[in-house]
Amino acid sequence: MLGEKLGHYRLTAKIGEGGMGVVYRARDEELNRDVAVKVLAAGMLENLGKDHLLREAQTASALNHPNICTIYQIGRLEDGFYLVMELVEGQPLNEMARSTKLTTEAVTRYGVQIADALAHAHDRQIVHRDLKGANVVITHDGRVKVLDFGLARRLDRVTVDAITRSQASFERDRSIAGTLPYMAPEVLTGEAGSYQSDIWALGVLLYETVTGKLPFGGSTPYGLSAAILHELPRPLPPSVPPGLSAVILRCLAKDLKDRFQRASEIRSTLEAIQSAAIVSEPRRDEPTGSRTLVSRGIQHLDVKNGDVLLFLGTTKGAFLARSKSDRKHWEVAGPYFHGHAVYSLAYDNRSGRHRLWASTGSPLWGTYLRSSDDFGKTWTNPLEANIKFPPESGLALKNIWKIALGPPEAPDKLYCGVEPAALFESQDAGESWSLVRGLFDHPHRPRWMPGQGGLCLHTILLHPADAGRMHVGISAAGVYRTDDGGRTWQARNRGIRVTFMPERYPEFGQCVHKIVRHPDRPDRLFLQNHWGLYRSDDGADTWNDIAHGLPSDFGFAMATHPHDPDCVYIVPMESDEFRCTPEGRLRVYRTQSAGASWEPLTRGLPQQGAYETVLRDGMVTDALDPVGIYFGTRSGKLYASRDAGKTWKALLDGLPQIVCVASAVVAELAGPSTSKPPTVKRRRPSPKNAKESVAKRNGTRATERKRSRR
Amino acid sequence: MTFFFWIPGSLRSLTGGRSQVEVETSGGTLQDALEALFAAYPAIRDRVLTERKEIREHVNVFVGINEARSTGGLATPLANGMEISIIPAISGG
Repeated sequence: MLGEKLGHYRLTAKIGEGGMGVVYRARDEELNRDVAVKVLAAGMLENLGKDHLLREAQTASALNHPNICTIYQIGRLEDGFYLVMELVEGQPLNEMARSTKLTTEAVTRYGVQIADALAHAHDRQIVHRDLKGANVVITHDGRVKVLDFGLARRLDRVTVDAITRSQASFERDRSIAGTLPYMAPEVLTGEAGSYQSDIWALGVLLYETVTGKLPFGGSTPYGLSAAILHELPRPLPPSVPPGLSAVILRCLAKDLKDRFQRASEIRSTLEAIQSAAIVSEPRRDEPTGSRTLVSRGIQHLDVKNGDVLLFLGTTKGAFLARSKSDRKHWEVAGPYFHGHAVYSLAYDNRSGRHRLWASTGSPLWGTYLRSSDDFGKTWTNPLEANIKFPPESGLALKNIWKIALGPPEAPDKLYCGVEPAALFESQDAGESWSLVRGLFDHPHRPRWMPGQGGLCLHTILLHPADAGRMHVGISAAGVYRTDDGGRTWQARNRGIRVTFMPERYPEFGQCVHKIVRHPDRPDRLFLQNHWGLYRSDDGADTWNDIAHGLPSDFGFAMATHPHDPDCVYIVPMESDEFRCTPEGRLRVYRTQSAGASWEPLTRGLPQQGAYETVLRDGMVTDALDPVGIYFGTRSGKLYASRDAGKTWKALLDGLPQIVCVASAVVAELAGPSTSKPPTVKRRRPSPKNAKESVAKRNGTRATERKRSRR
Repeated sequence: MTFFFWIPGSLRSLTGGRSQVEVETSGGTLQDALEALFAAYPAIRDRVLTERKEIREHVNVFVGINEARSTGGLATPLANGMEISIIPAISGG
């Protein structure tokens, strides 16, 4: 048929021949592209019936997935039909595994893609039925393509019996030689191929990819069938990591109830292995120094100068997003720290660093501080918990709620606010940490009462010009201030009302949710309380109610405008019982008059049935002009405005509960800049506060998180 | 005395991939056995114990088939050759 035309496809080369038919490379003369044309063998048509096979092919042609070879068209011939498909060029996975020792990382990566392809097809009621090494091709750019979905021969009972009794050598029937090793025990006993027999085949394929050999041996179809039916897979070598080995063995469970039920389970298990994979762990006789956590299987961000970055912490991991300075298109990577809660993220660009900090908490194994100097590709995996309460305190760390950078002139200084409520500081860029005793030994501390979210120190505000002064926010203890670098602390809650104690204006015990300060007016603070919205103009000595005309003065999130000290953004919640947006309307409120009045910003935000919650650290601004504002919801949506709040757009949906959002504009990265430099507006010191104005601290503006409820 | 620890999958990255670790110690309590494990694999310590030297809330340590909190905690006496399993509790959400 070479040189002939089928429709507008000119067959240019024969590239394969098998039980299903002959495959040609062909030229689509209408679209001017190369395709593959498979002319189905007469035997196939007899075996399955033309109409049935046609229906199967039509169904399979509906599959649209990056790891599945796409069927473009089905063409009819006088005595049969042909399929026009995406031309996949590369190497079959089993050949690749035999000729090259694939790394565990590569096997896992391919496994995720095959499992994802199967999950996609299974969701559409399409079973592959003949998944095998020869049907999975790794393209030249390293992507998996699964071929021939739904087109396999269905073996009837008689055929199966004949195969399983055959003592002939595999040489006699090459198609069986390629297919039989992947057949599930239930198929060998005559059942039709199912989702779970595809899963078995994936197990065989993974086994073969990781070892270069098949899990069951036999020199004849009979011997191989017997091994599949009755024997355990040959042991995997000890070099196969336990996680991967467990996945393979669970795919190869003979009993269906012990096997994975769905391909999507395999995909997510392999993804978990990828994101938690730790490289080359030392044996006991090797030095055990600093360890590295490599985030694998994640398409990492390629960050360039001028990029805007968003760091999203969720209860199940962290996500990173990048955009050019136009902030139109965002690329997302993650989840990092799969399954761990990330309550604080901070970007430290002091002293030429580009270091990302994350607090990661596992309900099982504790909370750790980790950092990355390559935008998430690798993270530190500390040998010991970085932050610990001293033994005599009798306390144990529950969570790290806030990571805050020290001043630019002390680039190795860092702070952490934790639960149970305490402040820790590091003078050596996070290598070691010590408890700030002045606050911990405060006589009020024994009388602080935890709220619904525990007793936590969640807000840390450094004064930009006065190195001795710092404010912290503690739930439910209130605002505390030091003027001597942390040696002594005073409660600073005058004017803030409480609703949960007999005394309405106590010295301390307020449930502060969030405090923000604009560096140009460092003695002015805005505070979102459990109930109540306040401003202080005297460094928190006194507070005044500014909730004028808001639908509710309950809320959590708050962010300052980077260039306007009178401008603040909040997202009011209905009440402490119903911690969702009032009336099901998602509204950001903005004041441009330091709280004298507020206006709702709603364009692009859902105004019906949107019962959303934005948590304490869930909103942040960027440093550009016009300012970008970003907020994440407890329902896993991320909204953004790139015009100071005039219009909004949903950037992401379907994430786990978002607990913190931070932003950065990247500058001074080594290497050439390829992104257009952003307009970072220079802060204009207001005349009356010019003496307070200081150089911009850094490119990051981290909001605070909130586990809510107190 | 010799003890055998079973290491859960999520901690095996800290034991070079080993699921079973054999330790030898002169002491005869769970605490002694754990210290011997931590000496070999220091990163396990903070994953299993808090700074209050208590087994983390959602981690269970079984001595044989008994959960250690019910047998005296870290002071649980051990017989030579016992198997100790570190197993994450049911958790999530």
